[in-house]
Amino acid sequence: MSPERPVVFVVEDDPSMRPALESLIRSVGLRVQAFGSAREFLEQPRTGAPSCLVLDVRLPGLSGLDLQRQLTAAGVPIPIIFITGHGDIPMTVQAMKAGALEFLTKPFRDQELLDAVRQAIEKDRAAREQRDELATLRRRHTSLTSREREVMALVVSGLLNKQIAAELGTSEITVKVHRRRVMQKMQAGSLADLVKMAVALGPETPDEPPGPAVGSREPAP
Amino acid sequence: MPPRPETFSDGDGETCRAGGVLDPRLRASHRTPDASSDEVAGLNPQTQVRRPAATRTSALLARYGLATLLFAAGLGLTHLLQPIVTYPFLYPLLFAVMASAWFGGTGPGLFAVFLSLLAVSYWFIPPPDSFAMKLEDVPYFAAFAASGLLASWLSSDRRRIERKLKERSEEVERKNEALRTEFAERQRAEDERRTAQEELAHAARVTTMGELVASISHEVSQPLAAVVTNASASLRWLEAAPPNLREAREAVERIVRDGDRASEVLTRIRALLRKTPSRQERLSVNELIRDAGALTRVEMLRHGVSFRTELDADLPPVAGDPVQLQQVLLNLIVNGIEATDGSDGGPRELVVQSERRDPDGILVAVRDRGVGISPEAAGRLFDAFYTTKPGGLGMGLSVSRSIVEAHGGRLWAAPNAGGGSVFRFTLPVETPP
Repeated sequence: MSPERPVVFVVEDDPSMRPALESLIRSVGLRVQAFGSAREFLEQPRTGAPSCLVLDVRLPGLSGLDLQRQLTAAGVPIPIIFITGHGDIPMTVQAMKAGALEFLTKPFRDQELLDAVRQAIEKDRAAREQRDELATLRRRHTSLTSREREVMALVVSGLLNKQIAAELGTSEITVKVHRRRVMQKMQAGSLADLVKMAVALGPETPDEPPGPAVGSREPAP
Repeated sequence: MPPRPETFSDGDGETCRAGGVLDPRLRASHRTPDASSDEVAGLNPQTQVRRPAATRTSALLARYGLATLLFAAGLGLTHLLQPIVTYPFLYPLLFAVMASAWFGGTGPGLFAVFLSLLAVSYWFIPPPDSFAMKLEDVPYFAAFAASGLLASWLSSDRRRIERKLKERSEEVERKNEALRTEFAERQRAEDERRTAQEELAHAARVTTMGELVASISHEVSQPLAAVVTNASASLRWLEAAPPNLREAREAVERIVRDGDRASEVLTRIRALLRKTPSRQERLSVNELIRDAGALTRVEMLRHGVSFRTELDADLPPVAGDPVQLQQVLLNLIVNGIEATDGSDGGPRELVVQSERRDPDGILVAVRDRGVGISPEAAGRLFDAFYTTKPGGLGMGLSVSRSIVEAHGGRLWAAPNAGGGSVFRFTLPVETPP
């Protein structure tokens, strides 16, 4: 069983509904882990596989909405499909606002739930890939020397090599060398790639905030 | 020794007494033979109706006439028998005296004695046809006079005692009848009271159930939703290639179980809503508590109250009405939930405990951490129509208490250690017959 195989978590306190949901989700070849309470779910270790959470709104102790809030606060980005016996509008609104993917009222059609589950897993897979990519970029970015990082910031802000050399007080040749090494280490095929990576990494350049500093220079030529 | 004439009052007597002991209402339905001759007497115990003078006189005449007639018959018989049994055979006359006293009373009795004495001294004591008698016959005559008086007195006295006895036994019978009527009336009143109480309990039950509608619908819809989901899953397992019969079968088995569960809930609710005459069953208190907890589960979730039970696992059964006792528990639990709603902070927890309370009972406690009971509410908590809830009927606790008391137990409230209140009730353990 590879860790990449998607897993669906079910948190449902009703002893009739829990095995039914388990069986239904398993019948389409998905892995299921079911819990009777929010606490049980929180106590189990995180998985690396794409996953989603099928969550009953009303649970004894910690409610479904509470669990959603806690997961958000803890930075656990798992797509949530809410199910409820009697959904009222304020509750639905609250759940959706907090980022729930779907809100199903029991009894729902099996296809509705399975579609939502599939969609949620796709979403999670995509999000995970994105997170993995970002992590890779971060790793590459941290492998740069501080000079290379400076050069990269200036390059992606659109300065020419000559301008960068002037800015850093070195020769244009040196800038060219740094620039080539940056492209190699970041595994960027083109300047456009590098710019995209810089955007993905966000404005967390350690030395100085390059944006405004460079921006002010922009209209000079 | 003449008997007192007033003791002779009888059906044809001068006064018509109506017993003052009895309730006039009861007597109206049961008139004594004496009273039946006069409606007014029967209706008003104070009235003693005096018969008109003419009637009295004719009655008196009739009695003396009777005495005369009896005397005449006795005399005739003695004359007839004279050839066969000779003087001093005077029994027919003595018999006439006795009969006169018996039927006519003391006066006619004495009258017959007087007539007999005259007749005997005139006709039978020699010389015949003269009042004169020989000295040797005087003791005999005196003996006859004495026996005549004695016969008259004994007869009338015996008659008087018998009449009294009859009157007494009639009175006893009358009183018995009155008691029977009263008993029947009490019985009817008791039946009415019980019916009213059952109606009230039913009304209170329906009110409680009304408060639990969300919970109850959830309890039914949950297994139904599970049925739908299981059925879908089962179809998918069957449609798979190859079909997974084991999984499909398991899903169908769950459908059966869930269907049973839904119908059980409905049966339970129907029982609670139905107006049933109370019945006695062997009941497990713990099961009642668990059932009540199941019916109120969603209500507690809705109010964010957690439910905990601390049940003594080996409690003996109690005898009682399952619907009514369930009602008591539901009521206390719903009250607890509502009390918790009004409190701010503190653990939102409702605990139901059961334990053996020696010597012969079971104690159930429902603890909440709610607002508690205010001093002014404490005294009136169990009064009918006393309520602290807006829109409350004020029937719940008073009905609950009467239910518990009807089961031979007690229901009372106290502050809970650490906030809120605790309602406790006891039930006697079923004693083997």
